[in-house]
Amino acid sequence: MLSSSTSGDADSIPQHSRDQFAPIPIPIPIPIPVRSLLPHSKLSLGCPVLSRLLSGGLPVGTLTEISGESATGKSQLCLQLLLSSLLPPCLGGLASSSLLILPSLLPFSSLLKRLSRLPSPLHPSPSPLDHIFVASAHSPDHLFMLLYQADRLFQSHKLRLVVVDSIAAIFRSEFDNNLGDLKTRTAMFFKVAAKLKEQAYRFGAVAVLTNQVVDVMGPEMAADVGNNHHTGPALLSSGRTVAPAMGLSWANCVNTRIFLSRNDEVAAVGVNGEDMTVCTRRRMEVVFAPHVPRSSCEFVIRKDGVFGLEIDRQ
Amino acid sequence: MEISNLPISPSIRSKLLSKGYTNLSSLSSISPSFLAQELSVKLEEAVEVLRAVSDTTTSKNAHIPNGIIPGAVTAWDMLSEEQMQRHISTGCEDLDAILGGGIHCKEVTEVGGVPGIGKTQLGIQLAVNVQIPVEYGGLGGKAVYIDTEGSFMAERAYQIAEGCIYDILDKFPSNSREFLSCKERLQVNNFLAGIFYFRICSYTEQIAVTNYLENFLTEHRDVNLVIIDSVTFHFRQDFDDLAQRTRVLGGLSLRLMKLSKMFNLAVVLLNQVTTKFTDGSFQLTLALGDSWSHSCTNRIILHWNGNERCAYIEKSPSVPSASAPYLVTGKGIRGINSNFKRARIM
Repeated sequence: MLSSSTSGDADSIPQHSRDQFAPIPIPIPIPIPVRSLLPHSKLSLGCPVLSRLLSGGLPVGTLTEISGESATGKSQLCLQLLLSSLLPPCLGGLASSSLLILPSLLPFSSLLKRLSRLPSPLHPSPSPLDHIFVASAHSPDHLFMLLYQADRLFQSHKLRLVVVDSIAAIFRSEFDNNLGDLKTRTAMFFKVAAKLKEQAYRFGAVAVLTNQVVDVMGPEMAADVGNNHHTGPALLSSGRTVAPAMGLSWANCVNTRIFLSRNDEVAAVGVNGEDMTVCTRRRMEVVFAPHVPRSSCEFVIRKDGVFGLEIDRQ
Repeated sequence: MEISNLPISPSIRSKLLSKGYTNLSSLSSISPSFLAQELSVKLEEAVEVLRAVSDTTTSKNAHIPNGIIPGAVTAWDMLSEEQMQRHISTGCEDLDAILGGGIHCKEVTEVGGVPGIGKTQLGIQLAVNVQIPVEYGGLGGKAVYIDTEGSFMAERAYQIAEGCIYDILDKFPSNSREFLSCKERLQVNNFLAGIFYFRICSYTEQIAVTNYLENFLTEHRDVNLVIIDSVTFHFRQDFDDLAQRTRVLGGLSLRLMKLSKMFNLAVVLLNQVTTKFTDGSFQLTLALGDSWSHSCTNRIILHWNGNERCAYIEKSPSVPSASAPYLVTGKGIRGINSNFKRARIM
């Protein structure tokens, strides 16, 4: 304990305490042989078709974003990932526990219900719920603090998967729209992303976030904003052009971006031309990833999980 | 005429002179197959000529006189040095053409673009292409890859190295004894071993690695390329004092420029984009601010043109501004025309 001097004079701090605060020397950097990085462990998505879309799954050491409109299956896919991580590596898992961070714990009972409906991957085994940690973060600063506290979970409880559902909800309404706050918000994006990526790299873990989408002006209107804003081929959902929320700076923070969309299509029309059967077609698209090309596949959401239908490459 | 001093047979010498190759610099960036075609000689003889040229130039550079001021070089020497400058192919012929042969050694090149446009892919492609042996028109050097974001995937580097070797063997089908020893070196594992990969997780580690590079490069003289992917990521967190950030970045770029000249290597910095409010609207611009934009010798912007990927040279002291389309395929970065083989298009 430091003495109760209030002058703030450095000499009043005893020497042994001062040594505790000496700067830690940074060790000499050592190059990592690239061959030792092969094969790169991946977390399966819980369905072979969807995992094949990502060449095995989400790579360890990277940050993946799953964006989409509401009710496109983001949270359901996250639950599937939480269970998948329990599996041993030979079955595409990480043999690990996982951490789920939500903006609030209010929907906790419905979360438990959804989790219990999914088939448990381990037989016979203790309940998978013993290996899933849940926390709520009500602001970006709180989220950052939670991640710091999670360091000990990585070390002692073999935590290898962190899921944040959703990052947009945690960042929303925390900042006003003036320029100073926007800069702070952008800096916070990078701070959170850097922390998640560092933990993923140091502990061989996977970090996943879900994000919402916002409407964007279609390419016909692009002339007004200048076509400089073109960040790639358009993403469509429910017949509208959308883009993941939190803007261009956030897009620079993630390694992999997955986009879930749904479109209602007329499957059949009755004889009188009035009875229409509408079906919801769901699509998972890899917008960018460090290890796979742009591609997409259709999927369905069933009671027992999210499953892909077939793969077509664009 | 310097050609007359080359240790080559008189018949080949006269062929060179008659075709207009009068000095060594005109032979500095020619591939053996092209030369063989020009002179109508066998490929092995063209390789002999180019080897004689490179031997002569390395011994010549060792004897450049210091002049009155130590370290000073005459403009004439600088010009002939510049003409000997080596380039690293990007994999896309159109892009190589507008760059004047490829990424220049002894210079710092910044490459920026939106996420998903192919910056890391280009970085890995360059790290592979720098290792193409001299006999096949490359530099035969190694690469240092400093990864700050975690986007480098070894399995992707494997695919790109495989694709590069496949294309080389396709282009140079010669089976002579000369090329056999070269072919043996064309193994994917050799290419992977030729990339020195550093993963750093904070801006202090980034500065530490840059400081350490001088020692590393002195020990590994065969490194011809240093890539930082991306130089921006760790600098966009809370640097409360923006002036300090500018100072740190300025020091970083100066150190990298010094290293590029000292060790004759190409430095490639990958950068992110952000929006800037100019002329009443938001425009896309490279991150890290206005003062950073002066720090790099060359600047290439990768962008989307409709559904096509395009590279635009925004700043270069030696080539005019121009644009070239490119593809990211399963084998790596390729040009539009070379994509008639069965390759997955990204």
